[in-house]
Amino acid sequence: MLTRSLKIGIVCPYGWDTPGGVQNHVRDLAEYLIAAGHDISVLAPVIDETKIPDYVTSAGKPIAIPYNGAVARVLFGPIAFARVRQWIAQGDFDILHLHEPAIPSISLLACWAAEGPMVGTFHAAAKRQKAIFAIGPILEPVIEKLSARIAVSEAARETLTEHLETDAVVIPNGIYADRYRDGVAQAQWQTNTLGFIGRFEEPRKGLSVLVDALPIISRFAPDVRVFVAGPGDTKDVIESIDPQLRSRFTFLGKISEQDKANFLASISLYVAPNTGGESFGIILAEALAGGATVVASDIPAFDSLLNHGEFGELFESESSTDLAKRVIDLLRDDERRIALGKAGKKHAQQFDWKVVADQIFSIYEMSLVSGEKVRLASENRAWSRFIGRDQRGDA
Amino acid sequence: MKTFVIVGIFLLVFVWYLTFLATRLDRLHHRVETSWANLDGLLQRRAAIALEIARSEIADPASAMLLTAAAYQAREASIENRSAAESGLSGALGLLLADGQSSQRPAEIVLLRELSELTDKVRIAIALHVDAVARTHLVRSKTIVRVFRLAGTAPLPITYEFETDVL
Repeated sequence: MLTRSLKIGIVCPYGWDTPGGVQNHVRDLAEYLIAAGHDISVLAPVIDETKIPDYVTSAGKPIAIPYNGAVARVLFGPIAFARVRQWIAQGDFDILHLHEPAIPSISLLACWAAEGPMVGTFHAAAKRQKAIFAIGPILEPVIEKLSARIAVSEAARETLTEHLETDAVVIPNGIYADRYRDGVAQAQWQTNTLGFIGRFEEPRKGLSVLVDALPIISRFAPDVRVFVAGPGDTKDVIESIDPQLRSRFTFLGKISEQDKANFLASISLYVAPNTGGESFGIILAEALAGGATVVASDIPAFDSLLNHGEFGELFESESSTDLAKRVIDLLRDDERRIALGKAGKKHAQQFDWKVVADQIFSIYEMSLVSGEKVRLASENRAWSRFIGRDQRGDA
Repeated sequence: MKTFVIVGIFLLVFVWYLTFLATRLDRLHHRVETSWANLDGLLQRRAAIALEIARSEIADPASAMLLTAAAYQAREASIENRSAAESGLSGALGLLLADGQSSQRPAEIVLLRELSELTDKVRIAIALHVDAVARTHLVRSKTIVRVFRLAGTAPLPITYEFETDVL
């Protein structure tokens, strides 16, 4: 590891104060690197500028656009571009770390505006998209400026290879494994219980698959109960449940990290019925770290995270009958259930920030070999002079 | 008059595109140089560790000789022969470590751990370098780049073939 302290600029494409995996990842990475003694500046779109930590610089208010089956809150346009250029010109960074630089966002703008050591992390895993093919020729010259590419999973790497014909190093998303290591089992969540954590209102999180599986499960395990943790409006979900089974469901709302650890240590099985749109599966990694035995849909991200079923049971995605069968089998076989949980907990340690941040940092080191600093790209410098704007002024 | 303006605008756009391509290519060559410098540095360190292992208790006299020879070869190889020489060193290290001698002495454990950390980095460095080289080849193979000699005098980067399975 380098011993000197680095000035690192991180660009987060999505609204800082909106919930999401990429934002969490950027926040955790930034805080880990700050704790390690580096100087970090994060550029992100922000809705409420009064509630951001010191290390975040606002690039403006994000706008909502539909992307990849969800609503993405991103930002672009000339004003955002001016702010990005200003941030780069004033930042005097040793290295830039751009997240998701292949979607229209400030990450792409930063990649366009800067040159020097740059690392890009690709989070999304999506099927072949015509739109990306169409803009591929425009993206390529920008993306190829990155000195190293990181993909958060095998699925994300494949997406990148397919769309932009470029390879990437796979480094998983990080979790704070030690926060979940020592959860204490709570009696109210134990014995034939199924757990689910997440924004259950989103269809792609797949809670409806679990709801549909419950009639079959309850026939074989009459005392089965389901605990759902996570923010959201429960009304529609409750109405979709068979009235006779409604009493089996408990909605816990958003729970604290400590409760989450205890929850994961208590439940018999953690169910992740996501139907897609997932690239890595951070919650699955956390569930494993908390010692829960996991039953997950066989979408590519989960399949690779669980190493094809070695560290958790996989069921055919969107099939509630297959889910029911796997759950019943595991509830009946305590020995196998506990063994799976133990293996999973061990496996999850490789996703700990200590390991992941070290890997990311060694990519930084490799990009820093050229000994240059990040600066505005030559064509942007010329352009700024041409239109008579001082780069260091308040553009 | 009108045609002159149109031809003029066309020429301007064309010249802009040529400079754009040249800048792009220049950056790619730069990326190749950086990734090679990184890979080269890591490989040099690996050869140094290999020599240390050869002198330590881990290696029996025969493997020590083999390893020393391979390490020197890797250090002194020209850029064209480099990948063959490095593969040879990987092979020699692989042979020695596959024997499964687990050393108990702390100094040697440190040495072996250092080697395995370095091997991980070398693997990534190779991937980065190969990607940069492939990209450069791709852009340089464009007709417009060849016709207008946009690559200038920059030498065509050499594809680095490395037997990743012995690493």
